[in-house]
Amino acid sequence: MSVQKENRSKTMQKEFSEYSKEVDRAQHDENIRKAISRAVKAYRETTEKTMKSYPHTPEMAAEVREIKRQSVEQREELVAQAMEAVENNKGKAFFAKDKHEALVIASEIIGTGKTIVKGKSMLGEEIHIREYLEEKGNTVWETDLGEFILQLKKDRPMHILSPAIHVPREKVAEIFTDFFEKEIEPDIAKEVAVVREFMREKYFTADVGMSSANVVAADTGAFVIIENEGNVRLCTAAPPIHIIIVGTEKLVPTFQDAMKVTEVTWRYAQYPVPAYVNIITGPSKTGDIEKVTTYGAHGPKEFYVIFVDNGRSDMEADDDFKQASHCLRCGGCMYECPVFQITAGTFGETYLGGIGTIWNVFTSGGLEATSPQLYTCLRCGRCVERCPMQIDVPNMILELRKRLAAGEVIE
Amino acid sequence: MATSPIDMPQKVERKMPPVLELIRGNIIKHGNPLALKGSEISAWAKELNLPKTGNLLFYTGGEYQLLPFIDSLVKTMTVMDSNSKGFSMLMGVRNILGKTGFAPEKIYASVLAQDKERFNEVSLKAARILQSLGYDLCYSGEDELYSGALLYELGYWEDLASYGQKVMEVFKSSKAKTIVCLSPHAAEVIKFAYPKMGINHDLEVKTFVELVWEQRDKLPKVNFNKSVVIHDSCRLAREMGVTEELRDILNSMNVEFKEPLRKGTWTTCCGGPNKFMFPELSQTIAGGRVSELQSTGADLILTSCPYCLSALEGAIDKNNRDIIADFIEFLYKEIVE
Ligand code: SF4
Repeated sequence: MSVQKENRSKTMQKEFSEYSKEVDRAQHDENIRKAISRAVKAYRETTEKTMKSYPHTPEMAAEVREIKRQSVEQREELVAQAMEAVENNKGKAFFAKDKHEALVIASEIIGTGKTIVKGKSMLGEEIHIREYLEEKGNTVWETDLGEFILQLKKDRPMHILSPAIHVPREKVAEIFTDFFEKEIEPDIAKEVAVVREFMREKYFTADVGMSSANVVAADTGAFVIIENEGNVRLCTAAPPIHIIIVGTEKLVPTFQDAMKVTEVTWRYAQYPVPAYVNIITGPSKTGDIEKVTTYGAHGPKEFYVIFVDNGRSDMEADDDFKQASHCLRCGGCMYECPVFQITAGTFGETYLGGIGTIWNVFTSGGLEATSPQLYTCLRCGRCVERCPMQIDVPNMILELRKRLAAGEVIE
Repeated sequence: MATSPIDMPQKVERKMPPVLELIRGNIIKHGNPLALKGSEISAWAKELNLPKTGNLLFYTGGEYQLLPFIDSLVKTMTVMDSNSKGFSMLMGVRNILGKTGFAPEKIYASVLAQDKERFNEVSLKAARILQSLGYDLCYSGEDELYSGALLYELGYWEDLASYGQKVMEVFKSSKAKTIVCLSPHAAEVIKFAYPKMGINHDLEVKTFVELVWEQRDKLPKVNFNKSVVIHDSCRLAREMGVTEELRDILNSMNVEFKEPLRKGTWTTCCGGPNKFMFPELSQTIAGGRVSELQSTGADLILTSCPYCLSALEGAIDKNNRDIIADFIEFLYKEIVE
C-alpha cells in the first residue's frame, strides 16, 4: 500500500468513527430531541397555514427556479455587473476566489484592535471569519440571539435558521448566568431582554458592522437581508463602517428578481412575513445641504462588499451539481429530513442535512472529509418534495458516492 | 475563477469502509449481498414448478429471502462495542472476515428456521396471488441473481456496470417481455439505473403492486374487521410513482384503511437505507415511523418493500410483531388462503 493511500484510508476511517460517535451521542441527547420535535411540529403547522394565506407562493417558487437557473448560466457577468454597481454606489467591491483571500481582504479592511458587530452568516461559518478576526486581535460579537448563545457556548449551529435549536431555555439561563455574572432565570423573555441591553451599547460603540445577504440584485447592487430580530438593522446602520460578505450564488440579474427570491425564501422559511427586509446599496448619504451629496450621514460612511467564490464556481460548472447552488437556505428540507429530525445538525458540518452535504463537499472539506455524511443520507427524497427549488439532493448524493468509490477527488 | 478540479481527472486509490466492501464483494462473488446460495434463495419455488421461460418473468431478486440474515449480520457486526455501534460496525467487519474470507455458516448460525421459512414464503405467496389473478409466470430458479441495487446505492457503479450485464443475461434467457419485481428497489434499478450504466434492455418493468392493481376487479370483497394503515415505501412512491394503487386495491377489497400524517410521495422513510453504516440511527428512525403509523389507531401496518418490512419490524417489540405485515402476506391471507 502506498503511503498516500494508507494516509487517505486512515483519515477516512477516523472521519467515520468520530462522526458515528457524534451521531450516536446526538440521538440520545434529550435536548436535541425535545427541541427538534417541537420545531418540526411548529414548522409544519406554520408552513401549511402560511401557504394557505399566500397561495401564490408555489407559482412564484417556479419563477424563482427559472431565475436561479439563468443566474447560474450568467454567473461571471453577474459578479462583474454587481461589483460595478457597488462601486457606482460609492462602495468598494472585492472578489475572493477562496476562503483565504476572503479572510485576508476582510482583515485588511478591519485591521486590529477593533470591535465588530456581526449578523448571522452561513458564509461566515464556512470561512470561520469570527475566529480569524479574533486571532487578528479584534473583538467580534454575534448579534443574532442564537449565534450569540453558540458563541458563548463555543458550539456550532445545529440549524441554519435557528442555530441554537438544540439549546433549551434552562441551558441558556446557565450560559447567561455564567457570562453576565448575575443570576438569569430560565425565562425566555428575560433572557432576550438581557441580551438586548448588552448588545445595545455594542452597536453604537462598534467600529465595524458585518453582515451577509440572502439575495443580491446585480443590476442595482442591492443587497437584501431578511431578518426578524432587528439586529441586522442595527449592525448595518449604526457602526461607521459596514462590510458585507456574500457568496456569489446569491446573485440574480435584477432588483425585481431579487424581490421574488426574497419572498419565496422567507415563505418557505415559515414566515408569513418577516419583521424586516433590509435593502442596502451603499454608504449612507445626504444631499440636504445645498444639494451636495455627502457620505456618512446617520449610517456607515464606508461600505465594502466581498464576493466569495470558495468552490461555488466548481459546483456550478458541474452539470450534476449546478442545481445545488439554487438553494435559498430556507431550511425547509431539514425539518422534513428523517435523519435531521433525530440528529439535528450533527448530520452535516458547516452546511447541514442532505443539501448541506453537497455544499460541504464543494466549499468546506472536500469529498473524503464529507464521506460519512454521504452515507448518512437515506436518499429517501422527501426533501425534494419540500424544496421550493426542487433540488434533486438524493441523486446528487448518489453521484458523489459514485465519485468517492471511483477514487475521484473533489477538494 | 478557480479552475475546476473536476476538469482535471485525478484519481486516487481509496479504501472504502469495510462493511461496504463486504457487501460489494458478496454481490460480485456470490450474486447477492449476504453470500447465500442460489439454491437456498430459490427453494421456495420447488412446489410450483414454474417454467424457466415465458412472457412474464417473476423476479424476487432474493430480497425477501435475505431479510432474516440481514439482522443476523448486523448483530454480529455490532456486538463488538455496544457503546458505539456505528464505530464497531466499521471495525467489526474485519473480525467476521477471518482467514478464509466471509463465512456465512458462522454468521448465520443464529438465524431461526421459522424466520427463514416465513420470508421464503413471501415469494411463494406473491407468485400464488399473481397466478390466482390469471398471470402466467416464469422464474429463473437457481440462476436468479440479485439486482445489484446496493451496488448502485453505495456508489459502486463500475461494478454494477459489469455485474448488471450478468443479471441481464439471466433475464434475457427467460425470453420474457415483462418483468415483475417484488422489491421496488429492484424495479428502480432495472428500470432507471441499468440504462444509465449502458445495460440496455426493452423489458417492461413492473412492480408486484401494479400487477395486482391491474386485476383489482377480480379481487374478492373480504370481511376484514380490523383497520389497516399503509406505509408507503420511498422507492415505490417517489421513483416508481405507485401510491394510489395500494389504496385502490384495499378499496376494491372493502378493507378500511387509515392515513398517517405523512403518506404517498411525502411518506416518512423507514430508516432502512443506512442500517449497515449507522444501525442505531436507522433503528431510531424506524421507531419514529412506527409511532407515526400507530398513532392513526390502525391495527395493522402494511408495507410493500422488503427493506421497509425489515426496518419497521426491527423497531417493534418481538412479541408484538403481528401488527405489521407485507402487503403480499396480507393479500395472500385474505384472498388465497
Ligand atoms: S435545499 Fe431547498 S428546502 Fe433545503 S434549504 Fe435549500 S431551498 Fe430550502
